Amino acid sequence: MKKYIKYPICWAILLMLMSCENFLDEKPDQKLAIPTTLADLQALLNEHDLMNHQIPNLGEIGSGNFFLTDTDWAGLSLEERNIYTWNRANLFPPEFNDWSMNFAPVYVANVVLETMPSITRDAANSRNWDYVKGQALYYRAHNFLQAAYVWAPAYDAATAATDLGIPLRLSSDFNIRSERASVEETYAQILLDLKEAATLLPVTQSHPIRPYKASAYALLARTYLSMRQYEQAKFYADSTLQLQPALLDYNTLNPAETFPFPRFNPEVLTEHLAWGVTSLLREDRAKVDPILYASYAADDLRKEAFFRDNGDGSFAFKGSYGHDSPFAGPATDEMYLTRAEGYARTGNVSEAMRDLNTLLVKRWRSGTFIPLEAGNQQEALALILQERRKQLLQRSLWWMDIKRLNKEGANITLTRTVQGQTYTLPPNDLRYALPIPDDVIAISGMPQNPR
Amino acid sequence: MKRILFLLLLLLAYTLPARAQQPISGKVVSAVTNTPLPGAPVRLKGSSTGTMTDAEGNFTLARSRDQDTLQISYLGYLPYEAPLRLPLPDPFVIALQENSRQLREVVVSTGYQQLPQERATGSFAQVSKERFNEQVSTDVISRLEAVANGLTVDRGTDRRGRLMVRGLSTIMGPKAPLIVVDNFPYEGDINNINPNDIESVTVLKDAAAASIWGTRAGNGVIVITTKKGRFNQPLRLDFNTNVRMTEVPDLSYIPQMSSSDYIDTEIMLFGRGYYNSNINSVNRPALTPVVELLLQRRNGTLSEAEANARINALRAVDVRDEYNRHMYQRGVEQQYSLGLQGSSDKNAWLMSAGYDRNLSNLSASYDRFNLRFQNTLRPAKRLELSTGLYYTLSNSESGKPGYGQVTMLTSNLYPYARFADEAGNPLPVVKDYRQSWKETAGNGQLLDWNYYPLTDYRHSRTLGTLQDVLGNVGLSYKLPFGLEASLSYQYQRQQSSSEQLNDAQSYMARNMVNLYTQLDPITGEPVYRVPVGGILVVSEELIQSQSGRAQLGFNRTWGAHGISAIAGAEARQASTSGHGQRFFGFDENNLTFGQIDPVNFYPLITNGRTSTIQPAQHIRGMENRFLSVYGNAAYTFRERYTLSASARQDASNLFGVNANNRWNPLWSTGLAWNISEEAFYKWGALPSLKLRATYGYSGNVDMARTAVTTMTYRLIKSPLLAEPMAYIANHANPELRWERAGMFNLGLDFGSRNSRLSGSLEYFHKKGTNLYGWELADYTSGVGATMLRNVASMRGQGMDVELNSINLQAKRFSWSSHLNFSYFKDEVTDYYLGNQQASNFIASTPAISGLVGKPVYSIFSYPWAGLDPETGDPQGYLNGDVTQDYVALRGSEVQIDDLRYNGSAVPVYFGSLGNTLSFGNLSLTARLTYKFGYFFRRKSVNYNELYRNGEMHHDFANRWQQPGDEAITHVPSMPYPANTARDFFYSGSEVLVERGDHVRLQYISASYAFDKTTFKRLPFRQMQAYVNVSNLGLLWVANKQGIDPDYHLGTAPLPPARTYAIGLKASF
Repeated sequence: MKKYIKYPICWAILLMLMSCENFLDEKPDQKLAIPTTLADLQALLNEHDLMNHQIPNLGEIGSGNFFLTDTDWAGLSLEERNIYTWNRANLFPPEFNDWSMNFAPVYVANVVLETMPSITRDAANSRNWDYVKGQALYYRAHNFLQAAYVWAPAYDAATAATDLGIPLRLSSDFNIRSERASVEETYAQILLDLKEAATLLPVTQSHPIRPYKASAYALLARTYLSMRQYEQAKFYADSTLQLQPALLDYNTLNPAETFPFPRFNPEVLTEHLAWGVTSLLREDRAKVDPILYASYAADDLRKEAFFRDNGDGSFAFKGSYGHDSPFAGPATDEMYLTRAEGYARTGNVSEAMRDLNTLLVKRWRSGTFIPLEAGNQQEALALILQERRKQLLQRSLWWMDIKRLNKEGANITLTRTVQGQTYTLPPNDLRYALPIPDDVIAISGMPQNPR
Repeated sequence: MKRILFLLLLLLAYTLPARAQQPISGKVVSAVTNTPLPGAPVRLKGSSTGTMTDAEGNFTLARSRDQDTLQISYLGYLPYEAPLRLPLPDPFVIALQENSRQLREVVVSTGYQQLPQERATGSFAQVSKERFNEQVSTDVISRLEAVANGLTVDRGTDRRGRLMVRGLSTIMGPKAPLIVVDNFPYEGDINNINPNDIESVTVLKDAAAASIWGTRAGNGVIVITTKKGRFNQPLRLDFNTNVRMTEVPDLSYIPQMSSSDYIDTEIMLFGRGYYNSNINSVNRPALTPVVELLLQRRNGTLSEAEANARINALRAVDVRDEYNRHMYQRGVEQQYSLGLQGSSDKNAWLMSAGYDRNLSNLSASYDRFNLRFQNTLRPAKRLELSTGLYYTLSNSESGKPGYGQVTMLTSNLYPYARFADEAGNPLPVVKDYRQSWKETAGNGQLLDWNYYPLTDYRHSRTLGTLQDVLGNVGLSYKLPFGLEASLSYQYQRQQSSSEQLNDAQSYMARNMVNLYTQLDPITGEPVYRVPVGGILVVSEELIQSQSGRAQLGFNRTWGAHGISAIAGAEARQASTSGHGQRFFGFDENNLTFGQIDPVNFYPLITNGRTSTIQPAQHIRGMENRFLSVYGNAAYTFRERYTLSASARQDASNLFGVNANNRWNPLWSTGLAWNISEEAFYKWGALPSLKLRATYGYSGNVDMARTAVTTMTYRLIKSPLLAEPMAYIANHANPELRWERAGMFNLGLDFGSRNSRLSGSLEYFHKKGTNLYGWELADYTSGVGATMLRNVASMRGQGMDVELNSINLQAKRFSWSSHLNFSYFKDEVTDYYLGNQQASNFIASTPAISGLVGKPVYSIFSYPWAGLDPETGDPQGYLNGDVTQDYVALRGSEVQIDDLRYNGSAVPVYFGSLGNTLSFGNLSLTARLTYKFGYFFRRKSVNYNELYRNGEMHHDFANRWQQPGDEAITHVPSMPYPANTARDFFYSGSEVLVERGDHVRLQYISASYAFDKTTFKRLPFRQMQAYVNVSNLGLLWVANKQGIDPDYHLGTAPLPPARTYAIGLKASF
């Protein structure tokens, strides 16, 4: 009796154990996956809020295009107040700040890049394979570049090999210690990633939220411009404009609208938004520098399309290409200005002015624009740089421009007055490289930027 | 098919026992105390006729033959068996002899086997049916805190309360004990279980008791056993009903600022220009009525006198009165339960039905219907078949908003809000956008945009329905040589749905429609992007679980040796699936809805920003699978020495884990020594004495942690690309291991003569290794600021004491006590902490401190150097010097060593004390609960939060205002601008740390038993009337602020309101 009953039970248990590995292979959550396919990787890159919209806006805060009233400044957090006055330390709350936001997309890009080799590239998937890898390289380079603008000094060929750059995270393995690369290495990595991305990305734009070849070229132009390698900057700006020369005629807009610029307008190469962690640039706080505002002519459509009258004599900025959000991606207007500067720097004044006027004619009321003229290289440069500041307002670019122009001897000194006290940021000051958050320094042991 | 089989078995099973004639009556008493023994089964040998004694020990039994033998058994007494000799003496009193050994022979259930406590080596805390039923509630779990030994609810580190068995066993892992109902983990909502169906609750406290449950038992196991039919019992009908009334909670406990103080703060901020950016904002954020009045005064649209008069009128309003008057009311809970059971010697069955109907303080309703069948069939001598079916249907509906649930923007409501005018008409309350702007927006083409809290709850209702079916079948067959094979299977299906119905009048629906309304530039007519009507949000969830178990048992005694063993394997699977969606333009009368465009961006009428309108459709599916093999054996020698061992191996479908890491072996071993059985033991005062010791491991696993990088697809697609989006769910963390918790337990069980004093004394020691802990990470790596690793170890030791005593016993009067006392203190022994900056250890809700040598949850505070006599600024110490450098105090210059360590944030001593007085048929019980040896951080003013979010605290009234105040207060002066570092220092300072010690009167209950000797004409066998008053409040508390240490977290903490219950139990 015992034999007949006991054995089947034992067999049942054994059978169960043998099939258990299959039983246990079921996923605990159907939404879970291990990233293995191109579709998985693309889904990770489709997180726009992470990949496209986590750009620090610290440069724009620092650059002096805006000011805060004393009462609004007093209502800010301690760290925000310190950022505004270019303090040497205590600029970031721990754990969640612009640094953490800037490096989070790098991790995703690295996960994608590390998974790529395990997916065989064949005739059927080659287009898609290249597209996915190109995007990952583009995003990584873009965030490295933004970090370099904020936390590293301006590129100076003489000292770049020893100047402290940013930590180049090239692996998703978080056990690898962060170490600061030199400024030279930082820019070299950015260029390497962008050049590879440019060869991989498609020629046509599938959606303005996605990078394509022209946006990779545009970032290359931007990078070379920051490095003051103007020939290269001009070359890549030209490459961009060869693919996408479109400009938006501001006469087609209704400048009186709350937000006159449509999202994804034709000039947008790839949309990036610079939200940042702070609320300093909120449009009900940040007021446009009155001298800057006065520099827009009456027939310049930007005067109305960019600014809202606060009713108290001050003006708020509303002219973002992100419609209602702060745009910071590459766009064709930036490329016209970059190519113009490249021409001017390399002595081709007429081509430089042609580019500038091509842009400006679309910014002025129809029939009112008189093309600008420059007698020499210096005049051309001055006009181009002034228009650069006016056109690319709140794109988080002017900060880097000040940094590189001061290297060229522009001697731009920024000042701010808060509650009767004046704060000054002289040219080439160490504070142009913001301090890395203290908790990052404490945990990683990386050297802090010299103060 | 399985379910059909079930029903057939159930139908077959119910057969009713036969009837007999010629009654005999008698009374059963204890031979020692001469007190009646109620509830003792009395039957005639060899017949199915049987009864049970009533509360006075009386019984009446029908006779079937002339030659009858009477059998009476009663727990703790020797069985009585004697032939009936006629005529019977009058009165016929049967005195049962006590069995001191058997008194301890309580059977404990582990969910896998029934174990005589005498032979158990592990630590079990039992809650008897009687003690369990002293309280009145709809659910099961809430009754345990006051009565179960070693169990507490920690409300100092978790606002909702964390159920803990013997303190913490893990730092970051899951902390909830496993809840088992009738031998299988309960996958549905535990509130489905009707307390009237409960036979007993056993808490498995140590490793030997719990390790049979494997990886999920690290935090202890609560085994709930429902009532079962018993063989050879007469037909019996039980009825129980009660009604419980909950008082209106005392809102004055909420530390709200006075409206006048709040208004003065707003006037100050307005004068400083604090609101200017909001006033000028294109987002039209809401402004409070006082700010609007101040603005009108500044703009000259309102005279100074008129503005001041209107503002001053608001100073007298207190929103707590408004809540009291219009939102809160008495809560009423009704409970009805009916049970029917009967049996023969081949079949025992039970049916019960329960109905609960609750109406909360806020008019939220909950009703539940339970139906239960249970049957045990013995078709052959060796075969037993048991079946059970449990059905639950419950419905819930949301009620009015409670304090804090009416909000303005994302912050707190201003304290001078009014919900109704004198005539009771609803008044609008400022909500999302500026009132003055809303009145002009959309040229009068918009829907009414006001928010009326008084009536809005009628238009925004959440309706929940839950249906749960649980069926089980068990088959056991006794084989020769003491072997027993059993198979059991359980199926559970819980289907729940939730409907959030916001009708066309609801603020939610009107707000959505208005936001997306555009005015046609030519005609000026409104164009609706969100169709006008209601918004219905539906979601459905289905949980299905199956468990199967095959087990072989062995029970044999030969000579002085006894072996009791089980071995088995089980498989469990629990799947959850769900889906949900939003419908716009919904009309509840004819169930029609409108269409939206989820693709294109539409501008908001407030500020022109654009957004898409999403139907929020989602589908999800989850599946958990477990496989286990287990074994448990106990060897007893001469009924004195017991050696036990158990082992178990679990595996689950953890995602992204290598197969060899899926299996986790756990074991335990134990020893028991019945000292009182030894020949040398002669101590008559303590006839029962047993010593036991165990050691073992239980595990703990967090299902969410994986060894490879995993990603999760979002519920919704990218609105831009219409492609799926996914995010990294887990960062590859291949070094993660299972947590291990080892526990040593030493216990002493004793019973004095006549059970005047009995109980147990236990000491335990826990050691957790490989514990998960957050390690601060360099977030440059992109994985966040902390990383989970097996970085920690902890140890804990404690004591559980349970004492039952009969203090006084007279003929009609007795006084007995029941004491639970527990001590537990844990200590982190290893934790990698890169950063010991002081500010990391200061948090309003105690965070895991992870500091070696200190409890897992500790309270630290900044040393306090008083208020500056000139400015009222708080002062701390930096390098030994008095300082007001708050940034430095919050920064890296101040390390953990500079802080004061106050103590544990979790009670170190806790327990309960119950006293029962009986006068004849009347019984009265009062029970205290207490917690000692811990600290909490109380709230005070946070000026930054006050300015930004309107977060209030009544300490504001005691703030420093002029020199000299520093002698009588420690509340800092009001600064402008606010300084977050200053607020941080003050809120973390030692002056705000209080002792948590308190004693609470948990409940008083009384019952009166009606029996047939006193009330001869009663149509019942037994009847009992009872009352219970619960939550009677604190009897003593260490802090002087009047704060209940169990209810102080969050912005609007409220202790539970007092309840009064009255009920009636009867059996026929």
